This record gives sequence, structure tokens and C-alpha cells, in this order.
Amino acid sequence: MKTKLFTLILVACLLLAACGGAATSPAPASATQAPTQPGAGAAPAVEINYMMFGAPEELEVWQKVVDDFHAANPNIKVKVDVSDWDSYWTKLNTLVAGGNPPDAFAMDAPLFLDWQSRGALLNLKPYIDQTPGFLDGFYPQTLKAYELPDGYYGLPRDFQTIVVFYNKEMFDAAGVPYPSPDWTYDDLRQIAKKMTLDKDGDGKIDQYGFYADLWDMELFWSEAIWAFGGEIVSTDHTKTLIGEPNARKAWELIDSMLKDGSIPSPATAGEYGEDLFQSKVAAMAPIGHWAVPGYVGAGIKMGVAPMPVGPSGRATSVNSAGFVVSKDSKNPEAAWEFIKFALSEAGQKRLAELGFALPVLQAVANSPSYLQQSGELDQKLFLDALEYAHMKPVFRGYEEWASVVGDGLAPVWDGAAELNPTLDEVVPQADEILAQNQ
Amino acid sequence: MDYGLRPLGRERLWLWGLLFPTLIGLAFGTIGSLLATLLLSFFSWDLIAPPRWAGLANYIALVENDAYLKAFTNTITFTALYVPGVVIFSLLVAVLLNRKIRGVSLFRTVYFLPTVTSAVATALVWNMFYGKDTGLLNFTLESLGLAPVCWLCRENAMMSVVIVNVWGAIGEGMIIFLAGLTAIPREYYEAATVDGASNLQQFFKITLPLITPSIFFQTLISAINAFQAYDYIYMLTRRGQGDSTVPVAVFSIYRNAFNFFKMGAASAQAIQLALLVALFMGLLFIFERRYVVYE
Amino acid sequence: MKSSSQRLILDFITYILLAIGAVAMILPFIWMMSVSLRLPANQFSREIIPNPLTWQNYVELWEKLPDQAYPYLLFNSLKISLLTLIGQVLTCAMAAFAFAVVKFRGRELLFALLLATLMIPSQVSLIPDFILFKYMNLIGTQWPLILPAFWGGAFGTFLLRQYFLTIPRDLVDAARMDGASLWDIFWRIYMPLSRPAIAALAIFSFKDTWNDLLHPLVYLPSDMHQTTMTVGLAFFQQQLQMGGKFTVLMAGAFLSILPLLILFFIAQRQFIEGIALSGVKR
Repeated sequence: MKTKLFTLILVACLLLAACGGAATSPAPASATQAPTQPGAGAAPAVEINYMMFGAPEELEVWQKVVDDFHAANPNIKVKVDVSDWDSYWTKLNTLVAGGNPPDAFAMDAPLFLDWQSRGALLNLKPYIDQTPGFLDGFYPQTLKAYELPDGYYGLPRDFQTIVVFYNKEMFDAAGVPYPSPDWTYDDLRQIAKKMTLDKDGDGKIDQYGFYADLWDMELFWSEAIWAFGGEIVSTDHTKTLIGEPNARKAWELIDSMLKDGSIPSPATAGEYGEDLFQSKVAAMAPIGHWAVPGYVGAGIKMGVAPMPVGPSGRATSVNSAGFVVSKDSKNPEAAWEFIKFALSEAGQKRLAELGFALPVLQAVANSPSYLQQSGELDQKLFLDALEYAHMKPVFRGYEEWASVVGDGLAPVWDGAAELNPTLDEVVPQADEILAQNQ
Repeated sequence: MDYGLRPLGRERLWLWGLLFPTLIGLAFGTIGSLLATLLLSFFSWDLIAPPRWAGLANYIALVENDAYLKAFTNTITFTALYVPGVVIFSLLVAVLLNRKIRGVSLFRTVYFLPTVTSAVATALVWNMFYGKDTGLLNFTLESLGLAPVCWLCRENAMMSVVIVNVWGAIGEGMIIFLAGLTAIPREYYEAATVDGASNLQQFFKITLPLITPSIFFQTLISAINAFQAYDYIYMLTRRGQGDSTVPVAVFSIYRNAFNFFKMGAASAQAIQLALLVALFMGLLFIFERRYVVYE
Repeated sequence: MKSSSQRLILDFITYILLAIGAVAMILPFIWMMSVSLRLPANQFSREIIPNPLTWQNYVELWEKLPDQAYPYLLFNSLKISLLTLIGQVLTCAMAAFAFAVVKFRGRELLFALLLATLMIPSQVSLIPDFILFKYMNLIGTQWPLILPAFWGGAFGTFLLRQYFLTIPRDLVDAARMDGASLWDIFWRIYMPLSRPAIAALAIFSFKDTWNDLLHPLVYLPSDMHQTTMTVGLAFFQQQLQMGGKFTVLMAGAFLSILPLLILFFIAQRQFIEGIALSGVKR
């Protein structure tokens, strides 16, 4: 009978749905007053969640950090939630907009001001003051991005500097000497040209001399501009300076390398995955330490060289991922305890094992935990780069500004537009964004 | 359209019962999507601080925002290419598959495959196909002595993306049309054959009019999908952080909402898109009145 | 007059056309399988059957996934997709019947309003919906993913309404004269006759939920034991794509569509065959 079928479906539905209600995460994001663990102190157990962007390997190590933390603080439970970059911001924005922010989360330094200026973050100054000397061991350059007149609304978790990686096997095969530490941008252009080869004679380039992400300034073009004596934006964040004469010289160098064929156009790059150095199609690439585990995993025999010297000296970019606490967190003290732990020597040592980033504590950076991690790489080079590193710009509206510039210049890299006229168009548009965000 | 039963007495309750879930969904959906979006479009909301009144500022900005205008034009171009492609090809396939030939079910399965799988997964393969130096398509062209095409370069990206989307949607349309085709009683065709009508005549005089409900449906759904197309385009033409060589409306909406802290602007863009879809829907409904044949 | 040779020619043309199309439809999947079985060095090579053939990509992927996450991802996706399927078929059919067969005031307006909800992209309604679910205190559970399926849906209702409209009115009139109630007419006449459309809706609903990335991402924890396949795999894809490790990427892609493919093959005999059968019934 048909009605029997109907009731059967309804019942099955309800049963499955009951499973659905039960088999999910036990409690909402903020504090749960779980019963105290036997033998613990008087403090009730507290659960906080920490959201971050990263790779699957990072999840494993962070889980270890969390376990270490829990051993030292049995009444605080930390749930780590790791997503890939794109998913992370969608999820974070939705949670925050929906009134359900995570207690602590990861922040990319350039975006820091966008979040802080909107009142989403907690000022950590009171907690820092309770621990005198807490910030002494940090590299001062890493703290700058999060520092405001009235305190710190976040703290750096680790930092990155950009250096040039080169594939030793490719250089050996071509008989070209490795880049020397005092090489210039002209040298870079020459070497890149020599290393761009059609190896099997089919008329198509199989190996590119230099692969750089041209959209995000951090990888190459900000360094080039600084090395040529230019700036990205004015110090008061009102004017876009990438169209100024010195900056244009840097752009022209980049454009010439593309025209040489030694830098693949974005369309071509997409064919090979996104990182041509990792897929062994490019001989050199400017990138940060986060790429190392992937490169090691790909079995690349590589060396690193500092960014080349430009007419105005050497320059590279320093950026960091930071810890921030949500202003609406119900357990700021617990969140602070966790951050404090991750920023302590114990925590930083664990993270140095990861090999993804550089520790913010000078002591840890100069210790074997960092210097002798796997992969025969000159790890010290990354640290030394701090001496000539400029901070990746941080300002309100950064993401939109970067989109206007990145999107605007993309046709030039695809060969569909001319460099200088495009710059003329893009700069006023970029200024617009800055103006809207004053 | 004046069809239907009148509910008798207590049957009123049944009517409410049938509609009840949908009414709740409507309330939720109308509040959740339409009203909220409409309201937000008049505000400036950065997702964190409370929304601030902005009046028509977001709408005025629409006209001035180059990025959005480009996205908008791309969406219209895409729709104009995609909808006819899907409707025509899937109708063709359905008609062919409706004939009593052997192996029909195998074909049906094969044609439905692209629709069942996720765009994210299959876009990866298409990325390999479209590679300029390494892709299968260019390899085939070259072995035939033709010049290779830069499929994902700016000039060709739109067409390439349309092809992939149509490929992925033919199965869906095919199912819709098949369902509609099998609803046409065989007697009609038999009678027509007896009267001496050719295949072509039968197609135009019997088949086509009687599947206008399905054509109507498929055109509308395809258009809505086209306006909101995202997955394949995102996977194939992505550059940098959220840019694309073929940005479409949803790109712009997404970035404004989730990257630029401009929920108000994103909402205004969404409303404009919705109005466009509504316009198209309205036109289609006029068509429905005039051309669509229900029994 | 349709001579048998005419028939043969037509059949032949039909086969040719369908075969060409079929190759286009299936080639990407064959390629996906092929690349997933190759050595990374050969990822761009042209042959369909890899030589040498290797399973290492699948092994590598499996090892990357934290303690047997795959079965959990599978189960979660399956459960949520199944529940939404049931919800959609039931509630959309009910509403479609009302819209197609019953006369009531405001019918056209209500239908238009329903269709209007299709016009807003899901990314935009994500945040307002989230806020609504927060007020209902459902954040942290799977309910936000399941419940909406039980509130009808514009697509499903529209689809079934179109189909219901093609069912001859005389059947209804006859049933009425026999004293059938609205529900009888719905459940005993329209539902059985609409198997193809219901099957279509079932398939669409299931695969849309299965392939949905946005909603599980936001409503479920990223924990590999509690989230769905789409979220799980997105997590791994980013890194693989960076390195251009297409062989492993393809293995991952294949694993992500495999459950759907299997289910589809099992179910298609029931559903797609039903399309042909119901035509005969008339």
C-alpha cells in the first residue's frame, strides 16, 4: 500500500536525521562548562577554538603543539581548525559576520589593519604587560605590523622573507654557474635567459629561467621596486607610488624578462600547476620558506641566493602570519595562554620543526631547531635577509587595492596590453581605493 | 492560466498541508536571501561593525566600478553563448536517444556522467586538456596539421569556458528532455505515420510543440545557472587571488563580500543580477503563455 | 513510408552522432583515470594506457589523509545527501502538485516568489542564512545542511510542476468523479506517473548536495571526521595544485567522484530505465 511506503520513508528520514543531530561536534564554539577532570584544580575546563590557514602537514604539527599545551594546561582544550587559504577566508568571514567568531585565529599581516580597524580584534596589551619582557626575544621587524599607538592587536606567529631558490641540477646540466651573492638584476636577466631552454627541440620552451607570481607583490615586484629606489604606497597610505619613475624602471625590467621568454606568462604557468619551480619547469624562483617542505618533498636539489642587487641596493620583503584574538571571544584569557605558549621557546621549537616558516624568537631562529632542519639549505640566509628587508605594506583596503593592481596589470603579463599605458590607468584606480579607506 | 481543481471544503487543509513546507522555506529563503540582500544593498556593511545606511551609493557605484562592469558584461556574453548551446545540444541528444536503438541505456549513462561529477574535479582534467604546450587538444590539432590554440588566453578564454560548462550540462538537459519526450504518447506518432507525415514533419509538428514545457524549463534553468556560473570558470581561469581572465558577476560579488569587506556593494551587485534574471524570467513567461503547450 | 533501409540509415547516423558525442563526454574521465595511474614524470604524455602503470599516487593520497578520514568523509557526504534527497522529493512534489493542479488565490504570485529565490547566488545568501541559523541555535550541528531540503525548493518544485502539467486532466476529472481526495490524486495518480521527473529530481538533488563545498565548509568543523568529501578534498587540492602534481591531483579528483559514480551506476538502472518504461505505460 502506498501509504505504508510513505510512512516508511518518514520513519527512515527521522532515524537518519536523529543520527544527524547526534553525530556532530558536541558544543558550539565558545566556552563549555564541562565537568572538571578528576584530580585537576578548581578551574573548570574551558574549550577554545583556533582557526588557521595552512597545508595538511601543518595540521599535524599544530596538533602536536596543542597536545603539548594541553599537557601544560590541562583545563584548557584547544580545537584546531585548518583550512586551505581560499576556504579559510570564506569560513572566517561567515563566522564573524554571523556572530560566531573563533576565539583565536590566524591573520595575514597585510590584512591585519582591515580587521583591527573594524573592531574585530582584542587588544593584547593588558596581557603582554602582565608578562614583562615577553616581547624582548622577538625580531623587532616582525612586531611592527601589529603595533599600534594603543597596543598590540595581534602578535606575529612566524615570519617569511623572500629569497631566490635555484635548481642546482638544471644549472649543472646547462653549465651555468650558480647565482653569486652579489648578483644584480641585470645578472638575473642574463642568467634567466640562459636558463630558458627548448630541451627537446620541438619549438616549445620546456624550461623557464625564472618563475615568479606576478600578481602578489610579495614574491617579486615589490622587491624589484624597492631595489630600484621606488616605493609601493606613501607612508600615510594616501598615494600609490608604483607608477613613479624609479618604480617604472623595475616594471620595465620585469616586462623585459617576460618578453625574453624567461618568465612564463600566467596562462602558461597555469598549465604546469602554480609553482613552476616545484614542478621542475623553472630554474629559479623567488619565494619564501613556506615552499621548502614542498620542494624537499619533490626531491629538488636546490640552493638559495639573496635577492639581487638593484641600483638602490638590495631589497626583499618580510611578511608574517599572526595570532589574533577575537574581541567577542568568551575566553580571552585561555586564548592568550595558548598564544603565549605557541610563542614561547617550546612552542616555537615545535613550529620550527615544521619547516614552513621562520621563528619569531631570535633564540629559536639561531638554534639548531631551525638551522639544522632537514634539507641541505642555507637556512641562515633567510634570517640574514631581515637586514635588507622591507615590510610588506599593511593598510586599510589592502586586499581591494592589491586586486586593482594585480588584475589591472594581468593583461600586460598575458601580452594583451602595454606596460606604461596600463600603469597610467591602474594608478588612479588604486588611489581611489586608498581614498575610500582613509 | 486557468486550470486546476478547486479544493472542496475540508480539502483546504490539505492544500495548506501540501504547501506548508514550501511556505516555511519561502519565508526562510525570502528573508534569508531576497530581503536580506535587498536591505543590505542600501547599507554599507563590513561584516564586523553594525551596518551603516548608504542609500543608493552602492547602486551608483555599480555604474562606476570598472571591475564590476567587466564582470557583468562577461556574464551576459557567457549566458548568450551558454544557454542556446545547452538547450540545443541536450535536445538533440535526447531526441536521438529517444529512438529505439540498441545500447540506448549505455549512451544515456555516458551522457549523464559529466553532470553527476563535481565541477571542481573535472575542471582539473579540462585544465590539462587546454594547456597550450602540454594539452591534449593542441596535441590533436597539431597532429592534424592545424595550428595550436591558446585556449585559456584572454582572447579564447570565454569560448573555452563556455565549452566546458555546456559539456557539463548536456546530461542534465538530456534527462529533462527525455522525461518530456517519453510523455508524448506513441499514438500521436503512429497516427501521423499513417497519415503519411515524414520524420522531419513529425518532429516539428508533434515533438517540438509538445516538449515546449521542457524547453521552457530548461531554458530558464540554464539561464539561471549561466548567470550564477562560477565553479568551472573559477577553476580554469583563476589568476592570483580571486582574479580571472573571464571574471563573471559571481566573482565580483564573492570578492566584494568575502575579501573586500563590502557586503553592501556585493548585495547591490547581486540585486542587479537578480533583476536581470527576473527580466529574463518575465520574458520567458510571456513566451510560455504564447508558445508553451500543455495538454 | 518508412522503409526498413531508411530506418537503417537513420539508425546508423544516430549511432555515429551519439558515438562522437559520447567520446567527448567520457574522455575527460578516462583521462583522469589514466593520469592518476601514471608516474609523475609522465603526467603530460599522450598515451591513454599508462606505461608503466602505478598506484603510487593513490597510496600517496591515502597516506596524506589523517587516520582513515576517507570513510568518515564518505559517510557524512552520503548521509547528508540522502536526507536532502528525501526532503526535496517529498516537499517539492507536494508543492508542485498544489501549483499545477489545485486552484487557489495567489497561486501565480506565490510561484513567482518561489522562483525569485533562485535569482540570488548562494554565496550572497550564505551570511543571512547563517545568521538565521544562529538564532535557531543550530550552529555546530549538521541541521543547517539538512533542514532546508525539507522546506521545498524552487528548482525541484519548478521541475515537477512542469511535469505535472503534462499529465492529462481527464485522469484527474475521472478520479474526482470517483470521489478521490486531493491527497489521493496526488499520491496515487501524480506521483506514480511522474517517475522520470522524480528520478531526475532525486539525482539532481543528491549530486548538488554531494558536490556542495560552501555550506559544509561554513557549518561543519574542518575536522576530517566531521566534514564532507568536498571540504576534505579542497584542503588537499590547494597544495597539490601549487606543485603541479597532476598525477596525485587526478587521483584525488577521481576518489572524490568515485562514490557518486558508483551510486549513479547502481541507481541508474532503476531511475533512467524508469524513464523509458513510463512512456510505454501511457
